[in-house]
Amino acid sequence: MTNSIGETDEAEAFFVIGSNTTEQHPLIAARIIEAVRRKKARLVVADPRRIQLAKLAAVHLRHRVGTDVALLNGMMHIILERGWENDAFIRKRTENVQALKDVVVAYSPGRVAELCGVDEEPLREAAEIYAKSDRAMILYAMGITQHITGTDNVKSLANLAMLTGHVGLPSTGVNPLRGQNNVQGACDMGALPNVYTGYQRVDDDDVVRKFEEAWKVTGLDRNAGLTVTEMVHEAETGEVKGLYILGENPAVSDPDARRTARSLKKLEFLVVQDIFMTETARYAHVILPALSFAEKSGTYTNTERRVQLSRQAMGSIKGCMPEWKIICEISSRAGYRMSYESPEEILNEINAVTPSYAGITQDRLETSWGLAWPCLHEDHPGTPFLHKEGFARGLGHFDPREYMPPAEAPDEEYPFLLTTGRVGPQFHTGTMTRKVPLLEREAPKSLLEMNPNDARRLRVKEGNTVAVESRRGELTLPVHVTPDVPEGSVFGTFHFSEGNINELTICALDPVAKIPEYKSCAVSIRRV
Amino acid sequence: MKILPKDKVESLLMEMNKEAKVYCPQRTESGDLLLMPFGDGTYTDEMGKTVLSAKVVLFPQTEDILSFAGEGILKTTEHEATVVFGIRPCDMRAIVFTDRFMSRDNLIDPNYSARRHASAYVVVACTEPPSETCFCREAGGGLFLTDTPHDVQLFDAGDHFIALAGNEKGKAILENDYFDPPAENDKKMLEGIREKISQRSKAEDWVQSAVVKLRGNKVDDSFWDRLAQRCIKCGGCVYVCPTCTCFNVSDYPDESGYVRCRSWDACLFSGFTRETSGHNPRATQGARLARRHEHKLKFDMMNYHEIGCVGCGRCSDACPVGLGAIEIIHEINRLQ
Repeated sequence: MTNSIGETDEAEAFFVIGSNTTEQHPLIAARIIEAVRRKKARLVVADPRRIQLAKLAAVHLRHRVGTDVALLNGMMHIILERGWENDAFIRKRTENVQALKDVVVAYSPGRVAELCGVDEEPLREAAEIYAKSDRAMILYAMGITQHITGTDNVKSLANLAMLTGHVGLPSTGVNPLRGQNNVQGACDMGALPNVYTGYQRVDDDDVVRKFEEAWKVTGLDRNAGLTVTEMVHEAETGEVKGLYILGENPAVSDPDARRTARSLKKLEFLVVQDIFMTETARYAHVILPALSFAEKSGTYTNTERRVQLSRQAMGSIKGCMPEWKIICEISSRAGYRMSYESPEEILNEINAVTPSYAGITQDRLETSWGLAWPCLHEDHPGTPFLHKEGFARGLGHFDPREYMPPAEAPDEEYPFLLTTGRVGPQFHTGTMTRKVPLLEREAPKSLLEMNPNDARRLRVKEGNTVAVESRRGELTLPVHVTPDVPEGSVFGTFHFSEGNINELTICALDPVAKIPEYKSCAVSIRRV
Repeated sequence: MKILPKDKVESLLMEMNKEAKVYCPQRTESGDLLLMPFGDGTYTDEMGKTVLSAKVVLFPQTEDILSFAGEGILKTTEHEATVVFGIRPCDMRAIVFTDRFMSRDNLIDPNYSARRHASAYVVVACTEPPSETCFCREAGGGLFLTDTPHDVQLFDAGDHFIALAGNEKGKAILENDYFDPPAENDKKMLEGIREKISQRSKAEDWVQSAVVKLRGNKVDDSFWDRLAQRCIKCGGCVYVCPTCTCFNVSDYPDESGYVRCRSWDACLFSGFTRETSGHNPRATQGARLARRHEHKLKFDMMNYHEIGCVGCGRCSDACPVGLGAIEIIHEINRLQ
């Protein structure tokens, strides 16, 4: 998030796109709901499904799945046509605006209506609310990123924010809502193929030298590694021979589950480290038992970039070790001795080699509610919102994108569009939440959500079972009939290994981020 | 009548803690005022509104109620002598209300009942409502207890409390050495305090008018559906409510067999009323919200001639989207 969570209270307008916020970030959703109710903030929701927030929105844009770039270009077209752009911001803080104008000029409301299925009037209203509010926040999640155009979608949102000057101020910015308590922290710590901590590139000579000195080694690899999805692919081709998987369950969570199974089976050596037995761990040669959040200490970095201490609250189960100790042991046995005494000692090293974390020290975390990076030195107060004076690269660069359709469009053979997501009570593949009786009671099984008109045509009723088939697999699922899903589309979740929607999803990747297109593939459905 | 100098309260709690488990309001590290076992937090003399009521003592969030193996039940839980110090009149009313539920139709809840008998309650009367969300007077209660059964009630008299026993259990507590005999003017002082509190005890009629509307079936489904659009289904209002008593049981294995655990449940969860067939008589969040508030404001009134809400305002304190009792009652009143 470029803003902090608390800033939602003071926003005048929200543009929520591709985020089912009440289900996935309920406390952020609660702040949006209260800002709308008490302070008359205006809410624009763009989502093919009629999610809960859509019912409270001033405008709900129900665009077709995968047409986000066209929708956003259409909004920018209207903004430029009406003169609602922020000229001062564009002049002072950005470059390349002409290129953007040249692209979005072709996204007339008429064309957008055709591509997205959204009429001119609501589109104009949405553009007006967002552009003309002083403090406007964009909030998005996986509905934006899990497409082959995920990077394009994010760039288009950045274009929209820069065009209207809606970035770099309190309650004004672009806010991806992160999906796990520490996914921000994992990225910050360089759990990515091309960077060290704090997004320091592995191909930068100065950076490499710094880490070689800090770790007293030479010859650190200057080439980027593989992304998660690429590793699984290359396991299938035999290029990758061994995998060490920590706290992830790709057998259920990766797209095209049959292919994932083939890849995992083919590995010469698979290590899985987790707190419970998982579907992925069944393929493992070695399982390393790790500790839950309550059994260990350390820090997490949340969606607003805030680093917070987490203290051990209960004794740990015999024979289990915290992850950092397991990693130290493996590294030491593999020939590089890691001998940290505590999470604090690791944090000291993070402070030393990571400029954005330099001031986030143990002492300061002990006496505060955490610090948001960048926090450049021990007296730095942290940074609640980003890009106040300038962007990381200096001027904000408009990078206009053209609409591209999803990888697999519905056709005669597979006439329905399948989109996937989550429900509130379950978390990801359910390795933890499915063990909690009350959460499991709230969402006990995998359901296929279907529009009443489609249900009528297929002659299925609430609770009937259907066979859903894609080019990659087949699944039988009970149907939940709801007008909240648009006609021609169905929705399923990946929480349940016994009814895993990823048997059907397509492993088409965004060319930059390599994120799979979970949000769109084609399926056929028949009653069974 | 006895008096308790304020500077002796902590010593009294320490003394009582030797014989019984003592709960009292204490500050946590993060600044919340919680009703906790003495010594778990920091005692600060504050007798404000704790985040959770005395429900946490009598009916804890989770408790193991029995364990079993092949041969049968191995053990049920035991309950120790407990003193709960510094709760508010609304909390005491909630306990008395819960007593009726926990022994309804002569079905005695053994865990609750055992704890209730083993525990004593020292209530501190409110000289003024401790928070903006207090509405005990409108909910049929008051800033101090009159008819509600209680063990001890304390009245704030500046540097000391004036302590009155409400029953034999209370008298036994006042036997403790830390309580002093009253001075000459304490009786007069008490009258003055009561008089002063009574002047502040006038209730407005906004709760009553909402109850009348609900009983007259003037609130339809669309009203609840509209409010439910805000609900994020966290169940917080139920958890903090001192009169909410719904629970679920689940079994989990331990070394010697299985343990049956009961934990708070909430009628705002969809699984709470869903039947095995999949049919849910409260199918929408609106219907669930209606059920919860009709239960407290309408059906309890019909069954017991009092509403099932003591006006502590905790649901309004806790709800992140403004769906506590206060907001809902005001919304009902706004209906034509």
